[in-house]
Amino acid sequence: MAYLEIRGLGRDFPGVVALNDVDLKIELGRTHILAGENGAGKSTLVKILTGADRPTRGEVRIDGRDPLVDPSAYRSVAYVPQELTLFAQMTVAENLFMPFDRSGHGGRLFNRRALMREAQTYLERFGIEARPSDLVAHISVSDQQLLQIARASTNNEMKVLILDEPTSALTRIEVDRVFRVIRDFLDRDHAVVFISHKMEEVFEIGDDYTVLRNGEKVESGRVADITEADLIRAMSGRHLAIDDHFRPGVPVGDAIMEVRGLSGARFQDVSFDLRRGEILGFAGLVGAGRSEVMQSIFGYLKASAGRVTVDGKDWPLNDPSRSVANGMLYLSEERKHHGIFPMLSLRENIGISIFELTQGPLGISQRREREAVTKIIEDYGIKTAGMGKRISNLSGGNQQKAIIGRAMATRPRILIFDEPTKGIDIRTKTEIYRIMKELAEDGVGVILVSSEITELRRCASRIITMHTGHITGEFDTATTETETLVGAIFGTEARADAI
Amino acid sequence: MQSNLSVLLRNPLAGVFVVLVVIFVLSSLISPYFLTSYNMTVLARGLAFVGLVTIGQSMLMVLGELDLSLGVNGGLCGVMAGVFMVQLGFNPALALGLAIAFGAFLGLINGLLVTMLRLHSLVLTIGTAGIFGGANLVLTRGVAITGIPTSVQFLGRGDVLGIPVPFVIMLAALFIAGFVMLKTPFGRYMYAIGNNPQAARMLGIKVDRVRLILFVVAGALAGLAGVLMVARLGTAQPSIGDTWVLAPIAASVIGGVATTGGVGSPIGAIFGAGIIAMIENIIVLFGVSPYWQGIVSGAIVVLAISFDAISRRYLRRDLA
Repeated sequence: MAYLEIRGLGRDFPGVVALNDVDLKIELGRTHILAGENGAGKSTLVKILTGADRPTRGEVRIDGRDPLVDPSAYRSVAYVPQELTLFAQMTVAENLFMPFDRSGHGGRLFNRRALMREAQTYLERFGIEARPSDLVAHISVSDQQLLQIARASTNNEMKVLILDEPTSALTRIEVDRVFRVIRDFLDRDHAVVFISHKMEEVFEIGDDYTVLRNGEKVESGRVADITEADLIRAMSGRHLAIDDHFRPGVPVGDAIMEVRGLSGARFQDVSFDLRRGEILGFAGLVGAGRSEVMQSIFGYLKASAGRVTVDGKDWPLNDPSRSVANGMLYLSEERKHHGIFPMLSLRENIGISIFELTQGPLGISQRREREAVTKIIEDYGIKTAGMGKRISNLSGGNQQKAIIGRAMATRPRILIFDEPTKGIDIRTKTEIYRIMKELAEDGVGVILVSSEITELRRCASRIITMHTGHITGEFDTATTETETLVGAIFGTEARADAI
Repeated sequence: MQSNLSVLLRNPLAGVFVVLVVIFVLSSLISPYFLTSYNMTVLARGLAFVGLVTIGQSMLMVLGELDLSLGVNGGLCGVMAGVFMVQLGFNPALALGLAIAFGAFLGLINGLLVTMLRLHSLVLTIGTAGIFGGANLVLTRGVAITGIPTSVQFLGRGDVLGIPVPFVIMLAALFIAGFVMLKTPFGRYMYAIGNNPQAARMLGIKVDRVRLILFVVAGALAGLAGVLMVARLGTAQPSIGDTWVLAPIAASVIGGVATTGGVGSPIGAIFGAGIIAMIENIIVLFGVSPYWQGIVSGAIVVLAISFDAISRRYLRRDLA
């Protein structure tokens, strides 16, 4: 008998069946991979497992108990969401024990010293490199991620820990820290449910797996018995070749954009050319300065020195509105902070960029806007219950498609994609790759900033590597070994001669 | 028909409009004096002044800003109109125009400080409100300026087809504001900025320019309200605008404008102002003891927003 078991589970929303006939068995001491594309029903399932939502039909048993009858059964299930939900301006210790009902500092009054002491033991166990008294805003992203996990485990009754893409903002070395913590949980006879789109990680840490597609369970079993291709096929429902490459197939032309000696707050003396017909990749660690370079070219951040020319003409820096007017767009890695307008509808979110198409003699025409947006929704395969829905109700992949569709509608000359596939499923990823390829082949300048070397290898014709604010190399993708790229990314032996 | 009713209910203005109608009908039933043409005129005229300020305040709130100096701005502009007309003997039309422009200028000061120094508008305008209000007292020493030319009093006291002139002016301003916000790119930029200023900048929207323009517009509307009030009273009272600070904010929130910005419209805010005006009106008609008026009107405002919040939650669940 599995510790947590679900049989014939279904959840209906008005007009939509979010989950249908789902079975799931979670066993202690094992990592269970919950796989599926964006919108497959993973979030709804997690909500039901944690008691945040109730099933329409089916059975849930946690340690043999029915949580719908006895809600205390939910206490053994802890959930760590993908986004950081910490209190940035409070200390590590306070975050750990909030709302202070289960820490042993005793008494009704706030005992700061006892709290700090108790926090220290958790920090050591989870390998968090921060002091209990540090403000969360001042600790690293990976420490914040681990702190979220530590916070969930301050619950002594916890047996099942659900981690929703805990590694999407982390580099490889930091991922290992999370994996150490997961293995520690397994040793303590806990179960871990791991949700991730990163195949490499799934196969490294997973014991069992369950695949959801369109709200139904399509497959489950042992990770050891399947291959990456099997898993991808199960998730997408069709065969997607994972080693297809998306490098543009047209001859590389003259330079569209020339960047010379550009410096800013976190990068120095950056020079490169972007040529017609290529996708130019930018590789580097988080914090290497790649996004800052792009945002400075775009004008969102200030450039302190250097110049940029586009098609031979001087490009105005420090003014994003002129960049947009002149046909340059930057699609940020931070969808929530820089991309969407959360309280506005999908239609308004797309409509904001296409007023040339929608303005009539009496202001913005509702009819024209509906038509234009409908076309973008269809062209980019955005899944939504209607264009009037708030964009924040869409899945991450669909938000990203809306942002890309909106950008494409303005017919840009230069398009900069900054981590465009972060937290996005494999099928949508390939759609984004295809869009980038077509753009480049149409003569649009395309820059791809990515932390995934495989992604860069599949898409970019040329890869520029950055380390701590400097360019450390420039490589022709087809003739360069991955090891060489990794070396340049980590700043060891920049081999510019490898071109 | 995936019925017109559900489309209507889905409109964010539905909740506040229902409250408005309910209070109107109840008031008509409770008091025989409520639905008289005299009382309606009084109500409309009263609503006009605070309504103009509400339009400006609600637009700033959609942007995520707040201007607490709009009330004293209106008062100071009224006094300036008096100074121009009576003490300096300017042509009335010129004097009123200058006074309204002065309101825009005060808004410009707030806007420049907010956009250039990145000041928090709420805190900044507490400060500028003190300055503007103080300037008012320095100019007037607390004494009203009398002798306003009768030629301008039509603007405050007159009627067009039985509708008070200030109310007509307020409706015209509301129409323009509503059109700009709902039908023009500029209006969409306002919502975008209120939702997510960083994302707006990434799309090439001139965020600071939109903010600056809105502070100026709100200042001009407050100035207009102050000037019309002078025309209504026939004297430039230094106390004009004292009640135009919190009521427009409450009206905006009742009307569906989020305190965090990005949601709502001046149309809803005017519905909210109408609710508050009717409540105050019926309390007077009902002869509630003046000592109790604050408690009663406060309680009804709390009830109104609670009803709206509950109905919205119910609707959202229905449509999820």
